Amino acid sequence: MASHFSGALQLTDLDDFITPSQECIKPVKIERKPGKVGKIRIEDDGSYTEIDQTGSETRLEKAKITLNDCLACSGCITSAESVLITQQSQDELYRILDENRQHAQAGNQGMMKEIVVSISPQARASLAAAFKLSIVATAHKLTAFFKRLGVHHVFDTNLARSFSLIETCHEFVRRYQASEVDKTSLPMLTSACPGWICYAEKTHGSYILPYISSTKSPQQVMGSLVKHYFAQRLGKTPDAIYHVSVMPCFDKKLEASRTDFFSDIYQTRDVDCVITSAEVEKMLEKEGTSLSSVEDHPLDTITPDNQSEKLVYSHAGGGSGGYLEHAAKFAASILLQTQVDSLSYKVLRNQDFQEVTVSAEGKPPLKFALAYGFRNIQNIVQRVKRGKCTYQFVEIMACPSGCNNGGGQIRPDGDETQKERYQTVENVYNREVEVVDPFHQQEVESLYRDWLGGRDTDKAREMLRTQYHEIEKSTSALNIKW
Amino acid sequence: MHHSLKEVQQLTGHTDQVWCVAWSPSGSLLASCGGDKTIRIWGKEDKSWVCKSLLTDAHTRTIRALSWSPCGQYLAAASFDATTSIWSRKSGEFECLATLEGHENEVKCVGWACTGNLLATCARDKSVWIWEVTADEEFECASVLSTHTQDVKCVKWHPACELLASCSYDDTIRLYHEASDDWESCAMLKGHSSTVWSVDFNKDGHRIVSAGADASLKIWQDYEPGNPEGIATPDNLPVWKCVCTIGGHHERPIYSVNWCSLSGMIATASGDDSLCVYQEISTEDARNAPKFEIAVRQKAAHLEDINCVSWNPVQKGLLASCSDDGNIKIWQLQKE
Repeated sequence: MASHFSGALQLTDLDDFITPSQECIKPVKIERKPGKVGKIRIEDDGSYTEIDQTGSETRLEKAKITLNDCLACSGCITSAESVLITQQSQDELYRILDENRQHAQAGNQGMMKEIVVSISPQARASLAAAFKLSIVATAHKLTAFFKRLGVHHVFDTNLARSFSLIETCHEFVRRYQASEVDKTSLPMLTSACPGWICYAEKTHGSYILPYISSTKSPQQVMGSLVKHYFAQRLGKTPDAIYHVSVMPCFDKKLEASRTDFFSDIYQTRDVDCVITSAEVEKMLEKEGTSLSSVEDHPLDTITPDNQSEKLVYSHAGGGSGGYLEHAAKFAASILLQTQVDSLSYKVLRNQDFQEVTVSAEGKPPLKFALAYGFRNIQNIVQRVKRGKCTYQFVEIMACPSGCNNGGGQIRPDGDETQKERYQTVENVYNREVEVVDPFHQQEVESLYRDWLGGRDTDKAREMLRTQYHEIEKSTSALNIKW
Repeated sequence: MHHSLKEVQQLTGHTDQVWCVAWSPSGSLLASCGGDKTIRIWGKEDKSWVCKSLLTDAHTRTIRALSWSPCGQYLAAASFDATTSIWSRKSGEFECLATLEGHENEVKCVGWACTGNLLATCARDKSVWIWEVTADEEFECASVLSTHTQDVKCVKWHPACELLASCSYDDTIRLYHEASDDWESCAMLKGHSSTVWSVDFNKDGHRIVSAGADASLKIWQDYEPGNPEGIATPDNLPVWKCVCTIGGHHERPIYSVNWCSLSGMIATASGDDSLCVYQEISTEDARNAPKFEIAVRQKAAHLEDINCVSWNPVQKGLLASCSDDGNIKIWQLQKE
């Protein structure tokens, strides 16, 4: 099985391709029944049957390792892949859609889930490139496609990204101001990429985690918006909503599965299922539909405003979200009292390592960097470790070329190379869509005011911020392979 | 057989198995390392080799391999503690200049490129890393190559250009070069039936010798685009073909192979406690079908597995070997 995870994750033993049954070291609780054990027979289908002394047969249960077990273990997370395939895939979405249909037929409206699909701009760009459509057309056709399958609401994660960007900007300024007393406040390393987070937690632990921004990724802010704000608006509990996100990246499945984003009270995740752009393409194939031939349907809005048609928009600063772009401009205005309209990106060692300097007379300059791909992440991490990082802010993404080149994106077909496909996706990404300033969005402003009670409240922190956990290296002898 | 190996001296000092011996570019110093987590630097005083420096405290586990920079001023050491240390002797004494971190687990080998600006490491984590040496003696990761599917045993740079070879437990050899924005694998050499433990280039870099757990040696020849043999070169990249397989002399895995740039002779070290030396014999079509004969088969060269063998780059026929028995031996190749 080929791994779909980002390079950073593959290096942390992710590409060992071992399934839980083979070499998983995670201890599993076994219910021991009193009495003598009889024989165990292995059936043709691979199941196990226990035969006791009286000759009666019992089918034995398999020990199950959940994705959460895998994420909390440093033994291997390869096993996560096979678990992921069953827990978070288009098949799981189809299962929920089927269940809904059955409940509807049986007249059990109360048992039906409200199904929400949130689509990321990078996944939209991948589908647009594959079907040679514009971003707006893709957004509208995807909405119609999902609604046809029985999905109730289709949202754009750009709204959530506006929150992530605003929070990132404020957090950077706060960290900058605290940097004289708190040595671990700078450089601030961005948090939107789950491949990077997982790698940092598993291999660099305590010394690197304090530098990582506590801002939730757009996917997880979307989770807060859907399972908290939107559920409330509908008068439903979070578990009555089934929330699917469409992402450019396989690692996002790991992110959605983190216990930090699970509600113990409602036994539900903020994002229940993550499907990738390539998996949406598979759904289209299964339905025998070409996206180009689907009708148009406007996107839904999460807030009850009266816009007749929701605008498809995006942010400045590139296909990975524009964290550096926004933080640099915001910091220039707050910390240097300078208005910067356009930033100049200087390419360093390679295209995936660039820097931006913002300066004003009489003040120390602010230095920002983009570091994409494992090799560049490595250098940033080592510089931070040695206290030699000269940047105050680094936008980190695990994939070379960033999110538009994510592992979940649709593969090129025919003679097209991966590079050429990436270039097409990058070109279409912000074409013909309005670029908005998240600080000047009415919908965002009203949500801060009415839903969160302001920007700096406990509710805002709960909904928009998260934390990271060091994962101890396992030293089990079973884990040592030669 | 027209040659023999005369034991010049046995060097004792390491308190555990010795994993690697490496001659400095000038041939005046021999560095060794092993399970005792130390590096020893040996030099000649009067007529015998003595331990001139003992480098300790840089690593917490076995030191597996060493490589001198082409200028002879730096020594890199790869360790099972997942790090690689860089030593400088610019001040006269050896000082640890940097520790390269990044590999997930045991670093198996390290190699300095001919220009001295690049360093390669490989590890059990299946990756090969390329490090760039910056002007201010910093080491930055230039690439992480995850093309092998298993433990990578050895890395070796081309003698004249920035072409890197690696070999692995996945039975293959990979070659890498720098493409537009990153390094990439440009060739896979498949032929060994088991782990490839060691690779080396010949003097001009047009041939590679590989050795492995299948107890055989393979000679690979490069065919450039437009080669007279008419061998197809897809993507305008040189193609490497196995032109000779040599077997039947070692009874156990060959752990180390070294191609002498002075004599053109190939030395091998094996788990059967023996050393072999091979020389090429003239044939009609030496480029496409070379023939090698065994010049020396030194049985019981050490008491246990021999881990590494290395020709002195300046003194013709001077050979160093090291073993699990904890000893290093210096040999002189002689004509009978």
